[in-house]
Amino acid sequence: MSSTTPLLEVRGATKRYPGVLALRDVNLSLQPSEVLAVIGENGAGKSTLMKVLAGIQGLDAGEILLDGKPIRIRSVQASLDLGIALIHQELNLCENLDVAANIFLGREPLRHGLIHEARAAEASRKFLQMVGLDISPRTPLHQLTIGRRQLVEIAKALSINARVLIMDEPTSSLTQHETENLFEVVDRLRERGVSLVYISHRLGEVKRLADRVMVLRDGENAGEISKQDITHDKMVGLMVGRDISRFYDRHPHPAGDVALAVEQLRTHAHPRRRLSFQVRAGEIVGIAGLVGAGRTELLETLFGVERPLGGTIKVRGEATRFRAPREAIAAGVALAPEDRKQHGLILESSVEENIGMAGWFRHRLAGGFFNRRRQAADAQAMIEKLNIKTPHARQMALYLSGGNQQKVVLGKWLALAPRVLLLDEPTRGIDVGAKEEIYHLMDQLAAEGVAILFASSEMEEVLGVSDRVLVMHQGRIAGELARSQLTEEAVMQLATGAETTTVSNL
Amino acid sequence: MRCSFVVGAMAVLLLSVSLGCQKSSSTSSGGGNSDSRPTVAYVTNGIASFWVVAEKGVEAAAKKFDANALVRMPPKGPGSQKRMVQELLTLGVDGIAISPISSDNQADLLREISERTKLITHDADAPKSDRICYVGMDNYVAGRACGRLVKEALPEGGTIMIFVGRLEQANAKLRRQGLIDELLDRSDDSSRYDPPNATLKGEKYTILDTRTDGFDNSKAKANAQDAIVKYPDLSCMVGLFAYNPPFCLDAVREAGKIGQIKIVAFDEDFGTLQGIEDGEIAGTVVQNPYRYGYESVRILAGLARGDESVLPEGGFLEIPHRIIKKDNLQEFWTELKHLLGEPDSE
Amino acid sequence: MKKILGISTLLVVICVATSVMNPQFLTAYNLQNVIRWTGLFGVISIGAAFVIITGGIDLSIGSLIGLTGCVLPLLIMQHGWSAPAALLVVALLGLGVGLTHGLLITKLKLRPFVVTLCGLMIYRGLARWLTGDQTQGFGQEHETLRLLATGKVPLPFVTGFEIPSPVLIMLALGVAAAVFLNKTVYGRYMLALGRNEQAARYSGINTDAMTILAYMICSTTAALGGVLFALDFNLIQPAGHGDFYELYAIAAAVLGGCSLRGGEGSIAGVIVGIAVMRVLYNSINLLGIDTQLEFTIIGVVILGGVTADELAKRWAASRRAAAERA
Repeated sequence: MSSTTPLLEVRGATKRYPGVLALRDVNLSLQPSEVLAVIGENGAGKSTLMKVLAGIQGLDAGEILLDGKPIRIRSVQASLDLGIALIHQELNLCENLDVAANIFLGREPLRHGLIHEARAAEASRKFLQMVGLDISPRTPLHQLTIGRRQLVEIAKALSINARVLIMDEPTSSLTQHETENLFEVVDRLRERGVSLVYISHRLGEVKRLADRVMVLRDGENAGEISKQDITHDKMVGLMVGRDISRFYDRHPHPAGDVALAVEQLRTHAHPRRRLSFQVRAGEIVGIAGLVGAGRTELLETLFGVERPLGGTIKVRGEATRFRAPREAIAAGVALAPEDRKQHGLILESSVEENIGMAGWFRHRLAGGFFNRRRQAADAQAMIEKLNIKTPHARQMALYLSGGNQQKVVLGKWLALAPRVLLLDEPTRGIDVGAKEEIYHLMDQLAAEGVAILFASSEMEEVLGVSDRVLVMHQGRIAGELARSQLTEEAVMQLATGAETTTVSNL
Repeated sequence: MRCSFVVGAMAVLLLSVSLGCQKSSSTSSGGGNSDSRPTVAYVTNGIASFWVVAEKGVEAAAKKFDANALVRMPPKGPGSQKRMVQELLTLGVDGIAISPISSDNQADLLREISERTKLITHDADAPKSDRICYVGMDNYVAGRACGRLVKEALPEGGTIMIFVGRLEQANAKLRRQGLIDELLDRSDDSSRYDPPNATLKGEKYTILDTRTDGFDNSKAKANAQDAIVKYPDLSCMVGLFAYNPPFCLDAVREAGKIGQIKIVAFDEDFGTLQGIEDGEIAGTVVQNPYRYGYESVRILAGLARGDESVLPEGGFLEIPHRIIKKDNLQEFWTELKHLLGEPDSE
Repeated sequence: MKKILGISTLLVVICVATSVMNPQFLTAYNLQNVIRWTGLFGVISIGAAFVIITGGIDLSIGSLIGLTGCVLPLLIMQHGWSAPAALLVVALLGLGVGLTHGLLITKLKLRPFVVTLCGLMIYRGLARWLTGDQTQGFGQEHETLRLLATGKVPLPFVTGFEIPSPVLIMLALGVAAAVFLNKTVYGRYMLALGRNEQAARYSGINTDAMTILAYMICSTTAALGGVLFALDFNLIQPAGHGDFYELYAIAAAVLGGCSLRGGEGSIAGVIVGIAVMRVLYNSINLLGIDTQLEFTIIGVVILGGVTADELAKRWAASRRAAAERA
């Protein structure tokens, strides 16, 4: 494979951002019909490298070669013209348009100066077929699931004859079934001669798909693994650069009194389902389930974001009816939300302010004056305790990596010493090193007597961290598994309802 | 660092703007005290074509009496009139002729002027102030004249709507009151006031309503249109401010009711004169804004030179109204064109 | 402080340029006039800044000025109310309007633009209806009350120059507003929710209450502004009084560094912003520039200022990047 001229090659790529050396002398080569997985912790430089290839960022030094010829990628358009397409983590589609319009957005076929819709639809069909989507090109995008939208985005890339497809965390919001489907599409594209750069944190996927793995660490090449050598431990070892045997290290944390008791709870998402369960102090309870099973809605209802339609919530024995998050917080309940950037953080505010925000009122001075000293102290304490990597407490949260942003969210709550901690996808988009730290933190908090309820789509995480797992399916709790009963098969069976056995091999 | 950038950009901007305007100001309006000629100011109560005619008179008099004349038309009511007057006072003008928006409530402003320079009023008087004299028309009398025009247009009687820019102004109030008193055959009493919105029923004539538009052209037109819709049997529209009659005419034309709804006008807007010529407007009562401007500047320039003889007797220089109908239109129009054309032909 | 250095420098540049070209600019009479206007418009701009900082907009300010400016003389002159009682009613009117706006925006989730646009029309119409389009004023009476807007306070050791009372009112209000915004928990809540309302809510901030409070502050200062304008002009035309003033307030806030996206802005910046506009008006007239060009020049300067600010931000960012590379 290495003897042929690479389709795409990057040599000595160097890129600086204010305060960070994002890429240092990075090399990459991509062969025709190859799936190259690029892995690395967050902040390792993966996203920067991809942005350079997609024309979003320029390089400070280094060169890019296509078919052995040096090229310059000055804009996204230039990149597309060269046949390089980036499928973003957050999809770049217009929900208000139909599938065909999205595929041909900006390149609409015209007739008499007007959009020739019939032709757009006809031309779309071919590309939809390539990605295995059996839907009408006239379907409005908002009617499609996230997984299908992603396939539309891929179809769009194919429609411009993309030879190199870059996928950035494509499965992060897909269900198991959609993920499987995507893998099949990737296989098919590879057969058609398309080369793929596949970025993922999910090492299982990488193992399943990649012909070769390239590891980045701190903006530099950390090593490569060829297909036959790809193992979980080897990948993690190169990413972290150290031994990670204590990944899911757990301390015994005896369960105490019931901290959170939910009875017959009905949420807006699934008004006809009634949910009942308990979480004890010092217990870590996972909520598993497919996308749309109602996990996020449950956590948001417990936190007062949405009002319950019925049922009771008791926090440490006291019946509550939270009308807003502030009431939940006052009762000792905290939520690290799924959408960190929208709901968890104010990106344009400093780390210090983000940590201090929830405590402003509690720590106010007489007359409602703001207690800056207290905030600074709390922030400093949390930065140390959670090992938040930031140049200083006044740094904007925007400039932090995903893992450190999540730590800021957690720091905000830990500064208030909550009794019940709700976590929604606590490690989504977070690198391995930070994941490990967050697992340790959950373990430690449980040992201190905090009741933790967390929802996760990552099987490994659910299996590794939970004392007990609630599996949700279409808005109801399909089953409960104690630690001794926890297996991937058992969870999947409950999560998928009746059609279980067919979808289980990850 | 960043500030120096801002400063640089702004300085260039400001300098270019002010230099550009310096050039034009030295030829006509600005200048202030740079020469020995007296500088006088003519302040209107708003922006209107009426005042553009007055401005011509100002310019002609400035040339004739060798004065520097500044014309200020406040775009936004009392606030901007006050500001413009204060700025004129800062410039140190030798006299100000003002059309006060409301003489009673602007006593402070008028006092501020009279304390600092010579004050005369034009168009609308402020008898309680220290103004040296007033140049204008008796609006109540003119209003009654307008009423007679309505009577001529509707000998059998009918329903009438009144349109005006602002009712707050004394001239508008008086004109309207004169009109109403004439139509209702009341005695002369310019201190009478009938509130708007009340229907006033006389023997033959009924005044349905008075609509104001606050000098907003689109509103003025909409007012006229709405009236036609609201009162299908409306027989006459009276526009009291210069721009009102043409809008009334437009609205009546659009509704296809020419002839059915008579229009009586005030002032000499081009559209109004054209309407009279075409027989679509019954007639108009005109003031003489050109002479307001001309006489104001003449008096102020004289006063600035210490010549008291320019003052009219009794402090009131009456510029009488005239009635323009189809028979005397051409004569008036030629005169108006001649007046406006004068500065160019010299 | 650093944030308003640019706009402050612009103010100084305009002042210096104007006084060089026409020394009359520096006369006590003129300066007093200019700062009085600044004080009057500053009051309403400070209130508007709160709404803008929370990411909202209030288009009804001008109409509310018109309504309160009519109600005050109406109550005092025509209904014989005492001045304190009338002032109380006007204050309650402002609070009530702000509360209504806030409730509609937070509880019914209506867009601020729509709510306050309707307010713009409603209050204007009410003002005209209540007064029958009659000009309102205090005539020659109530000189004491009118001192609120027309009074002047002498400075120690300085003769010939006195501070107009609206300036003092604006400064007092400005200091209170700045302290509230930066030093109290509630002010910080507003800044936080202006940046990201959802995140603020998820952090336990009562975002609805804070939004409502911002609209109440805005409408109440508009009511105060309405009173001051009415007392100063002594001539309130119901159809036009305060017309367009909301846009001056918004423009001042933007010039002063407020982001219309919310979450950013300083009270000092807003005051300097409105001062820039008032001085511009003044210098246009003093320099003999055609007054028809007033809006054009002010528009160009605001646009230029905002553009220069944006460019300077980018330039500073690239400089910082370069410095860190070295």
